[in-house]
Amino acid sequence: MVRNAAERAFLPTRNLLEEIGDMMILTGRTITSALRPPYPYGGEFVSQFLFALRLCWFPLLISTVAICYAAPGLQAANFLTIFGALDRLGGIFVLAAIREIGPNVTAIVLAGVAGTAITADLGARKIREELDALQVLGVDPVKNLVVPRFLALMLVTGLFNVYAILFGLFGGVLAELVNGQPLGPFWDTLFANASTTDLWGSALKTTIFGAIIAIVCCYKGMTASGGAEGVGRAVNQAVVVTFLAIFSFDYVYTQMLLATHPNILVIK
Amino acid sequence: MTVATREHDPSGAGGEQSLGGDGRDLSANPPHGGPPPAGGGGESEFEFHTGANRPTGVPDAIEFIGVHKSFGSNHVLRGLNMGLPEGQISMIIGPSGTGKSVCIKHIVGLLYPDEGDVIVQGQSIPSLPDAELFEMRKKFGVLFQDGALFGSMNLYDNVAFPLRQHTEKSEEEIAEVVNRRMREVGLGDAGEKMPNELSGGMRKRAGFARSLVLDPEIVLFDEPDSGLDPVRTALLCELIKEVHEENGGTYVVITHDIMSARRVAEHISVLWRGRIVESGPAAELFDSENPFVRQFLSGESQGPLGME
Repeated sequence: MVRNAAERAFLPTRNLLEEIGDMMILTGRTITSALRPPYPYGGEFVSQFLFALRLCWFPLLISTVAICYAAPGLQAANFLTIFGALDRLGGIFVLAAIREIGPNVTAIVLAGVAGTAITADLGARKIREELDALQVLGVDPVKNLVVPRFLALMLVTGLFNVYAILFGLFGGVLAELVNGQPLGPFWDTLFANASTTDLWGSALKTTIFGAIIAIVCCYKGMTASGGAEGVGRAVNQAVVVTFLAIFSFDYVYTQMLLATHPNILVIK
Repeated sequence: MTVATREHDPSGAGGEQSLGGDGRDLSANPPHGGPPPAGGGGESEFEFHTGANRPTGVPDAIEFIGVHKSFGSNHVLRGLNMGLPEGQISMIIGPSGTGKSVCIKHIVGLLYPDEGDVIVQGQSIPSLPDAELFEMRKKFGVLFQDGALFGSMNLYDNVAFPLRQHTEKSEEEIAEVVNRRMREVGLGDAGEKMPNELSGGMRKRAGFARSLVLDPEIVLFDEPDSGLDPVRTALLCELIKEVHEENGGTYVVITHDIMSARRVAEHISVLWRGRIVESGPAAELFDSENPFVRQFLSGESQGPLGME
């Protein structure tokens, strides 16, 4: 009885740990087979890159402008009005838009739009036994399917971050204008606080987010089972796991960046 | 219901419990022939599994030795011992869900056994390093259940895929081979079609053409007759036979369709509950005295096999 209960509690934990381990192994195999010749994934890389670009640019534009206008824009402006310090909104946007909202919203949109498409695509191929057929025909699915998606998502997420930051700042500009403020002081406090560390920190973070999205979504797609229903389940799990992984990683990364670069803690 | 004739453990003990014993007791079911295991007790689940392998006079191209495989709590292969003779069309037949497709995936190294060994032409598949396994796979042609064509390519490119992947042939040489194989399976003018525009039968035939282009020594068919009407099934069986006569090689066909077995099989292995009930030349098996084999090969409702 005790053994049964222990096993029942232990089994989900073990499955979870095994799954995390499998994803780590997949990450390792992806990186080594990306570096080791031959490099047959060029065409697939370009098509995946353009696919993500085409799918994500508009949802990302709407999301970043809207959330930056609403959250750090209107809400923080309301708070700053008490001190008559609406010009400080620029400084807040360095913290909010560049360091956090830009990267996180990019990751959420990429996971929701491109990541789910990857899981559904690979999942359907797995169900139709295409992936097995590929392996039997001597084609390594990791090298030919996972590697191009991994590289394309890293690049596209990193680049989209810049785009998200620009439109996020535009949201801030809107908030200033709505409050009848001149834009000079906004840019002034923004550039006083912004440092190169903020920019590369943000770019590196989103690139790693892209890698996380690609690995989780490819893994969930390639391990889908149980017919059409299984593909649906895989997509659902892919999104949940990606979000958990991204936000957990964001915490660790932010903590590390702040600890190693204390100068960005100083508010000017 | 046929409760009276079924050999279900009356104590209600799950399969898992009796399995523990079976797994350790491999000696009771030696690889080839040998005395049938004593029935009764934990073995009652396997009382019809004599494991008898009637001699074929031909060496085995593919051998399963004491293979166990579980998926979670589902113990699919339970000490499978099976030999498939070289150069013949062998059929693995058995009820649904007894691990027939799992066998094929073990042969090509897509799945690894939890226990036991799978030997193809003298080489142990589970212990081959990746590079050698990729080489080994060139000897295989596999027809998956629904053809497993690549949805992003047209039929011609699908069939040409293994050639482009594994050979240095020029496009003209590839076109020559591909067109010949496509004509052989009756798809001579469908090269431009995409897989989703085809019927299930056509997808299977295209998958068959693709599995043949590298002139494989071993061709594996995963339920070539599933989802086809009886006439198409008969035609596909004819095709398999014709191609085998022309090219030779070891063919392994998985099916639960007895009509196909009668038409095509030269050697039959009857698989049930993850073990071989009996195997041997087709003609002899159709005359078998074993109640399970007799029931299954004649498709009767009365016998050891029930709805479980």
